Amino acid sequence: MGIRLAPILIFLIAIDLEARPISYSGASTLMAFSDTMKNSVYYHYSPSYKYSLGVELVRDKVQKKEYAFFRFTSLLNRKNTKRSQRNLYFQSGISFNESRNRFYGIHGDWETRRWYTGFNYKKIDTGAVIYTDQFYQFGVAPYVGEYGDLHSWVMIKTRKNFLESDWSTYPVLKFFKGNALIELGYSKQSHWDAHLMYRF
Amino acid sequence: MMKNFLLLLLLIIHALAQANGNEIDNIHLDHAHDRLVDGKKLEVDLKRFERFIEGLAYSQIAIVSVKGMVCDFCARGIEKTFKRDSDVTKVDVDLSNGKVLIAFKRNKTIDFDDIKEKILANGQNATDLKVLII
Repeated sequence: MGIRLAPILIFLIAIDLEARPISYSGASTLMAFSDTMKNSVYYHYSPSYKYSLGVELVRDKVQKKEYAFFRFTSLLNRKNTKRSQRNLYFQSGISFNESRNRFYGIHGDWETRRWYTGFNYKKIDTGAVIYTDQFYQFGVAPYVGEYGDLHSWVMIKTRKNFLESDWSTYPVLKFFKGNALIELGYSKQSHWDAHLMYRF
Repeated sequence: MMKNFLLLLLLIIHALAQANGNEIDNIHLDHAHDRLVDGKKLEVDLKRFERFIEGLAYSQIAIVSVKGMVCDFCARGIEKTFKRDSDVTKVDVDLSNGKVLIAFKRNKTIDFDDIKEKILANGQNATDLKVLII
C-alpha cells in the first residue's frame, strides 16, 4: 500500500466510527476526528429521523489538502421491538474539489442493550481510483447501564478493502454519557485514534 | 337522596366514557406501588419511578411503552422533545422496561396520538399508555 492510499484508509476508518448517522427530528450532531494523518469535523442535521444532511471538513495532513464532503444519509428500513432495533441506511457523500471524491453505500445494524452487530458496504470514487470497502462489527456492553449512566461498549471490527488483499481486524471502544460520545479505535495503520460526538 | 345518587352515577359513567374515548386509563396506584388498582402490573423500575414522583404533586404521570428504545443515546431526543412542552414538568426514561415517564400538569388533556407522534419523530414506536393521577 503506497503512502498515497494511507490517508484514504484512515479517512474511511474515521467515518465508519460514526455511531449514529441520523439523529432525531430537528437535531444536530457535531463530530470531530483527529489522528496523525488528518483532522476532520462533520456536522449533520436531521430534518426527520429518516434522513440527515451534513458537511464534513477534512484537512488531509499527508497530501496537505483541505476539502469538504457534502453528505446525505437516509434510513431505508427500521424495525423496532421491545428489546432491539434494526436499521438499514443508505449513505452518500460528494466533494466539490478538483478530484470530485464521492462515495455511496449501505450500512446496517442490529442492537439490543447488550449486543451490537453491524455491517457496511461502500463504493468509493476518489477521482483516480474506484474501489469498495466493507466491514463487519460486533460489540458487547460489559454492563447494562441505566438512563443517564456512563455506557461502555467493547467492539471488534473486521474490514476488507479492495485495495488490500486481506482483512484487518481491530478493537473499538465506545463510551457515551448524556449527549456526548467518544469512540476509540486501534488499527495498525493509524494506531489509536479518537472520534468525538456531541448531539444537540 | 336517590336523585344525588343518580347524578353521581351519571358523572362516573361520563368520566369513564371520556377516559375510554381517549384510550387512557385514569387510575391510581395501590399502596404497594407496583400494581394498578385494577391489578395490572405497572412494569416500571420502582426505585426509578419513586424517585421520579418525588416532589411531584397534583400531576398526571404518563407511562408510555416504547419499542426500539435500546440505548441511552437514542432516547435523548424523547426527553428533549417532551421538555419543550410547557405542560410537561418532568421526563425520565426507564430503559430496562422500555418506558418513558412524563409528568404532565393535572389540567392537561393527554393525547396519546400526540405522544406517539413525538416518539416517532425520535425514531421509536409508542405502543401503550397508562396515566396515573398523583
